[in-house]
Amino acid sequence: MTCHLARGLLVLTAFSVSGCAAFSPDSGMSAVSELTSRAINKDVAFVRTADGAGAVEARVHQLLARTLSVESAVQIALLNNKGLQAAYNELALAETDLVEQSLPPNPVFAVSRITGNGASEIERQVVGDILALATLPFRSEIAREHFRQAQLRAALATLRLAADVRRGYWRAVAGNEMVALLTDAKATAESTAQLAVKLGETGSLNKLDQAREQVFYAETTADLATARQMAASSRERLARLMGLWDGGLDFRLPNALPPLPRRPLTLPSIETDAVAHRIDLQIARLELVALAKALNLTEATRFVTLLDLAGIARRTQDPEGPSFRERGFDVQFQIPIFDGGEVRVRQAAETYNLAFNRLTERAVNVRSEARDAYRIYRSSYDIASHYQREIIPLRKIITEEMQLRFSSMQVDIFALLTEARQRLASLRGAIDARQRFFLAQADLQTAVNGGGGVPAASSENPTAIAAAAPAAGGGH
Amino acid sequence: MFSRRRFLGTAALVGASAVQGRVQAASIPEAPHMDKVVMQPPLHPISGPDYRPVVTLNGWSLPFRMNGDWKEFHLVAEPVVREFAEGMKVNLWGYNGQSPGPTIEAVEGDKLRIFVTNRLPEYTSVHWHGMIIPSGMDGVGGLTQPHIQPGKTFVYEFEMKKSGTFMYHPHSDEMVQMAMGMMGMVVVHPRDPSFRPVDRDFVFVMSTYRVDPGTYLPHVNEMTDFNMWTWNARVFPGIDPLPVRLGDKVRVRIGNLSMTNHPIHLHGHSFAVTCTDGGWIPESAQYPETTTDVPVGAVRVFDVLADNPGDWAFHCHKSHHTMNAMGHDVRNLIGVSRKDLAKAVGKLAPDGMAMGSTGMAMGNMEMPTPDNTLPMMTGTGQFGPIEMGGMFTVMKIREDLARDDYRDPGPYKFPQGTVAYEVAAPAPEPARQKSGSPPMKHKM
Repeated sequence: MTCHLARGLLVLTAFSVSGCAAFSPDSGMSAVSELTSRAINKDVAFVRTADGAGAVEARVHQLLARTLSVESAVQIALLNNKGLQAAYNELALAETDLVEQSLPPNPVFAVSRITGNGASEIERQVVGDILALATLPFRSEIAREHFRQAQLRAALATLRLAADVRRGYWRAVAGNEMVALLTDAKATAESTAQLAVKLGETGSLNKLDQAREQVFYAETTADLATARQMAASSRERLARLMGLWDGGLDFRLPNALPPLPRRPLTLPSIETDAVAHRIDLQIARLELVALAKALNLTEATRFVTLLDLAGIARRTQDPEGPSFRERGFDVQFQIPIFDGGEVRVRQAAETYNLAFNRLTERAVNVRSEARDAYRIYRSSYDIASHYQREIIPLRKIITEEMQLRFSSMQVDIFALLTEARQRLASLRGAIDARQRFFLAQADLQTAVNGGGGVPAASSENPTAIAAAAPAAGGGH
Repeated sequence: MFSRRRFLGTAALVGASAVQGRVQAASIPEAPHMDKVVMQPPLHPISGPDYRPVVTLNGWSLPFRMNGDWKEFHLVAEPVVREFAEGMKVNLWGYNGQSPGPTIEAVEGDKLRIFVTNRLPEYTSVHWHGMIIPSGMDGVGGLTQPHIQPGKTFVYEFEMKKSGTFMYHPHSDEMVQMAMGMMGMVVVHPRDPSFRPVDRDFVFVMSTYRVDPGTYLPHVNEMTDFNMWTWNARVFPGIDPLPVRLGDKVRVRIGNLSMTNHPIHLHGHSFAVTCTDGGWIPESAQYPETTTDVPVGAVRVFDVLADNPGDWAFHCHKSHHTMNAMGHDVRNLIGVSRKDLAKAVGKLAPDGMAMGSTGMAMGNMEMPTPDNTLPMMTGTGQFGPIEMGGMFTVMKIREDLARDDYRDPGPYKFPQGTVAYEVAAPAPEPARQKSGSPPMKHKM
């Protein structure tokens, strides 16, 4: 009987384990890489060997050799950020779950020997979780969905990192540009402040006017210090995201934001694109599928939650008689007398409904986020291009005309300074507006692909425009 | 040089202007039009009593026709573009193509019929400043006549009771119309040619404008802060020189329709004021001057014997009236080194030059200016920059000039040894009186 039983178990196992998963050579990374490269066109690497680490290091080194573009910064982060590697480790762990779940339950062998009074009884049991075996295809499929989800999560972590790097990059570059602008402004302010002192000495400028001319220098100095600090912090954050330390910290960033694209993207189908591509949405969808499968499983096992089948071979030795063997089997059922399994079915159904509603909600939100991100993208483009095409050229005209008026002795030298202050405010507003545009562009990408995290509109005002700057862009 | 016939044939007169209104067109003389801003040769009369005509500085005299015993003129009040000097044009209102309008010349006892056609966007009138005429011809809109509405032509008729120098200007919306340049001179010659005759007779009217740098239209509401100080709506170096033959007796007739007085100064000579808009000053009342103040709303005429050859500055003596547009809120930078200024300015205005650290003299530097804006100080002479603007020109007295030649004879050829010169070594500083106080100790 034991033999038959064991054989039967093996056959059953062999039969049912046809969907059994083995460890993949890349721990499921190829899917992640495919997903992310479709969205952001970057390489990802799961570093597990010394060779791999060496290759990554070489690549990062090569990318760092040149002034970083936003794309190379993203690429470095994807290769070098250890947090991302940890996310990939989680994926590898999920694969171990998958493999585990797709194996048949191990049979349990039990030997018990009872002696007493000269008599002994040896009982050997082969116990198999029949139910676990019976539900193996279900469970393996569920585990596969979970693994798929884990892959998506890894992809999401990748995209999120990419988006964070983009934002960090634009902030750092804008910080550089602001520092350069204010450094120039400070030099100008300094020489005119010195002139004001000299004019005080010649008797041409009273104390009140001297103070008025010098306050610009003082304010600009303070603004420059603030801008330097913000630029340093932005750069540090970018370094963190790129996983750089020590030798890698001397990476080079451009001194100024690039000009705006000639025209903004027109994305009429952005909502559908977002619904189709958003990885968080795909995860939620897979969750629902997994839940649906889990519900079927629950339905199938609602009356029998645990079925233990035990083959028993018992040998009893009595000191007063010859030993004898007994064979049989032992089946244990847990009969759901009290709840009839209804509770668990209800739980499963509600869980499914909950997930369904969450998915729907998320889809609605994704559409709205996509629309919003696109609107922010467009309006920030319009504002930045208004600065670039209207305000800055007008300021240039004003500057040139003021210079003509100065050189033909129509206006005082300090009228030029007043004008320079206003121009500075406009230039700061323009940098700010351009930074907002590039942040909005990064957010637009995440609105379609996922990985956003921070809603676009919450990007904080990166610079404190001086009170003298009425046209500094204001709020959002 | 210029015969009467040749003058009439020049291109200076371009076409006749049609006249609108109820007056029969045939009865209205043509309205000559001037498109030049340089001084036109004198207009010798071809009919009526003879006289020695005047020359209008950067201007012209209005041709007339005799109609019976009436001398008929036609003024057209219209918007014009007047060039103040090369590089600056101003949209003004004027007469017959220019502002100021042409000089009207007549002879004592003439009967004048002056047609006035209004091509302005608002009504106007013409007041004959200083002339003794019937009240109904005095041209005060609302008081002595209806205003001349746009498109209408009025006619003024009066007899020239006395000779002298007079002006004409509107008495309708007067402040605006005069601020827009509507004015002109009237010269009435004595019937007796032997009455105080001269060889050359110049005439101009002074007016002021506020034209902000880069603009083309004067501020008509400005009362005091003008920046264009003009003689016949021209500023130096746009004002023609006064060419004079050595030994000529020269008369200069100056009207003032600006809002301030102008002390007019001629170098190298003394002169006598011989006439005002009130009439001839008896010789017994004349006294020698080198500067005569021309009050607001008045005419001063001086006669001078040009007996001292050379290039003689002739200008208003209010020094800012010999400047073109200047900023009045410009700080005094004297005492600050040019280097310091350049450092401060270089960053603010890379093309601007740091000036004014020793004074305002700009030497030969050509300063870039806003559109339609003249340099504040300008003009070049044979020894370098003249650094003048506004009410400044030169009386050029030459021996070799023909009687009626009004061409610019060019720079004066100074006889050897008659020009101020640099000495090789400056004289040692004269000993100054020592103060009685003990020498001061330097405190560290």
